[in-house]
Amino acid sequence: MKINLSLNGKGMELEVDPMALALDVLRGLSLTGTKEGCGVGVCGACTIMVNGSPVSSCLCLTGTLADKDVWTIEGLAEKMPELIDSFVENEGMQCGICTPGQIVAAASIDSVGASSPEEVKKYMAGNLCRCTGYQTILSAVEDHVAVN
Amino acid sequence: MQSTDTEFLIPSSVSEALSSIALEDAIFLGGGTSTALLYKTRMIEPSRVVWLGNVGELKGIFTSPTEVKIGSMVTMAEIAADREIARLLPGVSTAAGVIGNARVRAMATLGGALAHADPRQDLPPALIAVDAKVSVRNASSSREINLADFYEGFLETVLSPDELITEVTVPILQNRRSSYLRYTPTSEGDYPTVGAGASLTFNEDGKSISTATLVLCGVGAVPIVSSEAGLALAGTTGDDSALLRAAELVRGAVDPQDDERGTADYKRDMAAVFAYRALKACLNS
Repeated sequence: MKINLSLNGKGMELEVDPMALALDVLRGLSLTGTKEGCGVGVCGACTIMVNGSPVSSCLCLTGTLADKDVWTIEGLAEKMPELIDSFVENEGMQCGICTPGQIVAAASIDSVGASSPEEVKKYMAGNLCRCTGYQTILSAVEDHVAVN
Repeated sequence: MQSTDTEFLIPSSVSEALSSIALEDAIFLGGGTSTALLYKTRMIEPSRVVWLGNVGELKGIFTSPTEVKIGSMVTMAEIAADREIARLLPGVSTAAGVIGNARVRAMATLGGALAHADPRQDLPPALIAVDAKVSVRNASSSREINLADFYEGFLETVLSPDELITEVTVPILQNRRSSYLRYTPTSEGDYPTVGAGASLTFNEDGKSISTATLVLCGVGAVPIVSSEAGLALAGTTGDDSALLRAAELVRGAVDPQDDERGTADYKRDMAAVFAYRALKACLNS
């Protein structure tokens, strides 16, 4: 099936299996920054941004991306260098496996309008870090929210 | 995942969607959070998927002084963010805002959530507590079902395979207060051990209770309405001893199972505790 979508700011037509997971399709396009963690929508490692909202690409059937505006960590890193800087300055990463998902979630925070530290914490609760470096991640997101 | 021969249709209207479903093993698809999980584990292998993402008719929230109507393709995030729903139906608003995580809430739809019928879901008890009705259509007819009568068992509803949930309607009563509370000992995004939706409707004097509804999730194969608790509260003023007495009656209504969220005995205890707190929250809302 052919679908049209915007991927990392570029409009394109893709030939896809509509029942394939967005996670697999994106990684097949060499966008391997999107990681598979739990595979059941719990951990957040595979977070992508769809029409401004955070989405688990491991639960996203590719057919539902038709006509959507889709961003992965690769596109957002170029588009929002100050967000990457905020994670670097706060040392908001340890082993790095959850980091792309954390950053994509942070980039999508406007979708819920979270601004206070408590709201940021509630919003980011769905992105797990098994190194448990949560405080520095939350500081990075709070700094990002404060300047945006 | 293996590639498949599943046909994927994207209708742009309800009538087009309904005429597309007449095929064995065809399913409607909302946000996909539940469907993708069932599909990945091969619990379902649909021959055709009718995705409703482009059906604008199913996407509105309409509020009037007498009722709130929510389209079946409205997401949990949209319900949680709606200020009128937060004001008029605080229990529904709370439930929509605690489901899963921000990613699930951004994708999961009202119709999909109800049709999925996992008895641990937060939204059904909150909606049943305020007398929600489900509007359903197939290609030739339509019907309205009380959400309280909608569930038949684990992942089972009264829906026929060709029926589509189009919207949910909740009546607004001036003298009613409602709430939803959940308890989970694991991570924030997990299903609850027990969730309690409650509503108290007061007589015109504003002091005595005319009707009360208490609904529990996570403690049976379907959401459980404790009619005994409701009856015990009618006619009282909702004083603390009346609330405690009603909450204790929940123990006889629930039918929990041992699992990683607690033993059956523990869940029965927590059901009574959270029934009381949900009733108390109605008074404070």
